[in-house]
Amino acid sequence: MKLLLNLVRKDFKRNKVITTALAVFLVLSALMMAGGLRVTGAMISSVKGLNEMAVSPEYIQMHKGAFDKEALDHFVEIHDYIKDSLTVKMLDVRNANFIYQGETLEKCLMDNGFVVQNNGFDFLLNMNNEIDVVQDGEIGVPVFYAQELGIKAGDVIIVHEGDYRKELKVSTIIRDSSMNSALASSKRFLISQSDMAEISSYMGEWEYCFEFLLKDGASTSVLAKDYMDAGMPSNGVGITGSILRLMNTFSYGLVAFIIIAISLLLIIISVLCLSYIIRATMSEEHAAIGAMKAIGFPEKTIEKLYQIKYSILLLAAAVIGYSAAIPFGDFFSSSVIRYCGSGSGEWMKWVFPFIGIILLSLIVLLECRRIIRRNLKSTVVELMREEEQIKKQGHYSLPSRGLKYRNLTIAIGELKCRWKEYVVIFLVFVFSSFLMLLPLNMKSTVENPSFITYMGVGQSDIRIDIQYTDNLTKQKDAVTSYLENDSEIEKAAIYKNGYVQSQNGLGEWEYIRVENGDESVFPLEYLEGSAPVGSKEMALSYLNASELGKKVGDSITVKYQGADLIFTVSGIYQDITYGGKTAKAAIDFDENDVEVYIVYLNVKDGVSIAKKTDELRTVLTVGKITPVNEFVAQTLSGIMDDMSLVEGTAIVIALLLIILITVMFLQLVTAKEHSAIAIKKVIGFSNRDIRIQFGIRILVIQFMGIVVGTIFANSLGGVIFGLMLSSMGASKITMLVDPLTAYLLCPAAQLLVVFITVIVGTKVVEKYHIRDQIME
Amino acid sequence: MIKVEQISKSFNNLEILNNVSFEIKRGDFVGVMGPSGSGKSTLLYSISQMDSVSGGRILFEGRNLSEMPEVELSEFRLTKMGFVFQNAQMLKNLSIFNNIILPGLIAKKETVHIIRERASKLMKRMEIEGLEERDVREVSGGQLQRASICRAMINNPEILFLDEPTGALNSAATDQVLAILEDLNHEGMTIMTVTHEPRVAAKAKKVLYIQDGQIAACKEFLTVTDHERELDKWLMELTH
Repeated sequence: MKLLLNLVRKDFKRNKVITTALAVFLVLSALMMAGGLRVTGAMISSVKGLNEMAVSPEYIQMHKGAFDKEALDHFVEIHDYIKDSLTVKMLDVRNANFIYQGETLEKCLMDNGFVVQNNGFDFLLNMNNEIDVVQDGEIGVPVFYAQELGIKAGDVIIVHEGDYRKELKVSTIIRDSSMNSALASSKRFLISQSDMAEISSYMGEWEYCFEFLLKDGASTSVLAKDYMDAGMPSNGVGITGSILRLMNTFSYGLVAFIIIAISLLLIIISVLCLSYIIRATMSEEHAAIGAMKAIGFPEKTIEKLYQIKYSILLLAAAVIGYSAAIPFGDFFSSSVIRYCGSGSGEWMKWVFPFIGIILLSLIVLLECRRIIRRNLKSTVVELMREEEQIKKQGHYSLPSRGLKYRNLTIAIGELKCRWKEYVVIFLVFVFSSFLMLLPLNMKSTVENPSFITYMGVGQSDIRIDIQYTDNLTKQKDAVTSYLENDSEIEKAAIYKNGYVQSQNGLGEWEYIRVENGDESVFPLEYLEGSAPVGSKEMALSYLNASELGKKVGDSITVKYQGADLIFTVSGIYQDITYGGKTAKAAIDFDENDVEVYIVYLNVKDGVSIAKKTDELRTVLTVGKITPVNEFVAQTLSGIMDDMSLVEGTAIVIALLLIILITVMFLQLVTAKEHSAIAIKKVIGFSNRDIRIQFGIRILVIQFMGIVVGTIFANSLGGVIFGLMLSSMGASKITMLVDPLTAYLLCPAAQLLVVFITVIVGTKVVEKYHIRDQIME
Repeated sequence: MIKVEQISKSFNNLEILNNVSFEIKRGDFVGVMGPSGSGKSTLLYSISQMDSVSGGRILFEGRNLSEMPEVELSEFRLTKMGFVFQNAQMLKNLSIFNNIILPGLIAKKETVHIIRERASKLMKRMEIEGLEERDVREVSGGQLQRASICRAMINNPEILFLDEPTGALNSAATDQVLAILEDLNHEGMTIMTVTHEPRVAAKAKKVLYIQDGQIAACKEFLTVTDHERELDKWLMELTH
């Protein structure tokens, strides 16, 4: 064993650069694997902990308007699978009524409301995950706003309406197991009972959440069906616990998912590199292997000699990777911990990465053993085959017109003959380019104005939501007439939104949101079919169509005000708003049933959207006015925050990867081609020429890698983004690339990094003494 | 043509050449002999500046090669020197013909047509015509060595450096190569060869005997006819 370790130490000393590069690869793989799993562990523990402490409801039915409390109590009484129920009264308040640090919350897309602490379950918790209590004059602010606006304990929030003004001191930041996620469109502020009574007399509209806890084994869909059948109050959406969990997983799990995906790809690359290095080293050591065999070393011992080298490397990588994953994982799980707390299963963030590291080590070790065994078994044959391989490489021809660009011609010629050696580095370049571009492209896609088409509406500049008013129609008319007389507005259309009931594939009745308006003003691109025409057609969002099992041409029956309305499905479109479940049809909603009027408008050329938004906000105080790009950004803010977080990491990792692989590759390839380098020097190539030739070979491969990586990032990236958004309602995403970043800056940065690495990495060529090479 | 002035070369504190001085005249055929490890190959690589020297000067037509920048030196080697080694060193991804013409194409002194024509003539003269498209592994050692002489000659160099040119060849191939070298020298080509074979050195007009990094003896032959016996006698005297 001592002899083996001595040999290994000598080998490490001899191949410092390659060993270091390989070690960094393995450390990175271990770090990403352990880091991703640490985030996963932290996330599961965190979300689970919050749900346990807050006792999350398993079914929530929203409702606006009056309701029969006795009937509801009776419903709960007669259904014994209901463990507990709760009616949460929420006072919906317009964002313009909130003032924080001199500014209203109008720029925020969220719907905000006041609640008092619940009894029984669905508790709002403080940052220690304890049931929160606020005194009169105090307010508990959702953690979302602490994060987005920087609101902290001790700050003051003012609510006002007309001459009424009330200051509330932020006493605590609250965690809300139902509406924590950035993907949940409502946020609850916690106030005291007496403040609630006071504020409600000046502003707001009551909304009720009927919340239920079920006994073990009971299904939420059974409850939803029974609830509908019993005609219980349901003027609003019904949300199951699984949707809430999905939203949470999506919000917090994305980072973990991306990190683990990166780690898996890194492992593949590491194994590829490892296999390349083992093959390269062993082919150079065939003589040594033969000698070892000759002096009586059993094959097992030789195998052990090689394996021990990589095992030591792997062990070191595993220890470093696991240790580094602690701060790394904590950084990426800081968001979920802020939103949900540390939770009750903290062991997971220690055990999961450990299991991951063990798995990674097993994969690498087994692969290592396989390659070593294969190489050992055929030492002599392999030597012969090597000759064959060189023969198979073939020749390149020198151009008959002479060598105008000698280095280019030689480099390309050699590349043509030895392309197989470049497969690994090519794959790494493809992967790193993909890794860099994917988050960038996702971001630019979301930031592109036409992304709104994935939100169920054609491209427009500004959106106005008119809701929470006693006099919705009057307000709507006021907005319409103002816009009609505004000469800076190019076009505008108003859409009436309400709910109807429809039967899903399981025969359960559920509410779907229907938009009624002129679909031709802001035409939308349909996945299939077209916009509804006339009063007998209905277009369905992608998620709705999937869940209802409808295709274009099918008929669909919906219930509105007790009557059955039959429509033909005219088209299917993508929409990630309102849980992805929307529809478009000419249903003439009763004014009392209108949930919201939404106005979309375009300003004329040369008119600033930001200025127009500010102007409209001053004039039309009843509506929530949002520039459409901001609407998109805020709706996807959760995803985009996470994407921004991984974007930086992805760029650093990608650049580090290409530096490492280039250094490692140059080291191997210059050693392998030492005799060719010597011959070139003899026949008159300068060191500079030879370095340029290496540079050209690597940069050509990298350029091809970048092209393929870019194509993948655009095509496969669209599929991945589609998968990510399909649970929200958009399945077919076309990446909207920012050409400057994607096609110029990103490739330029990668090429520059490799260019510099080649300059440094090929310096070794100067040290090759021709005499040494020739004499060998 | 080449003036070597007190060159020294040490490697890892070991002195390989120690204050070596001599001169090569145009049209000379210089043979370098000596026991293994005496520094004869190092002398050849130092003169051609394929390896740097620790001290002294090498003047090639009055220009100091040891102070010449690397790029200029490469150009100088390309156009004025030709090299042949014990094991013919060729680029494996080029055919025999392309290996031969490559230095000519890099030098760009003449048109491609002239270079190709010269390569064909050289191959014919070396009796390896017909091997143009062959892989370097598909020909015999002697054929490859003759091909490497063709490559060394493609730019009409002023001097040909050879390091044990027949060391890896059989007797018949050695005879062929020696005949070629003799012919080239008759035509005016300056040649410097390192060898341990008296048969090769016997073709030279001047033989340097290197021992412990220094020129231990130098023998010039007045006649160009066979002086193998004379050389043997001289070597016997030196080694006893």
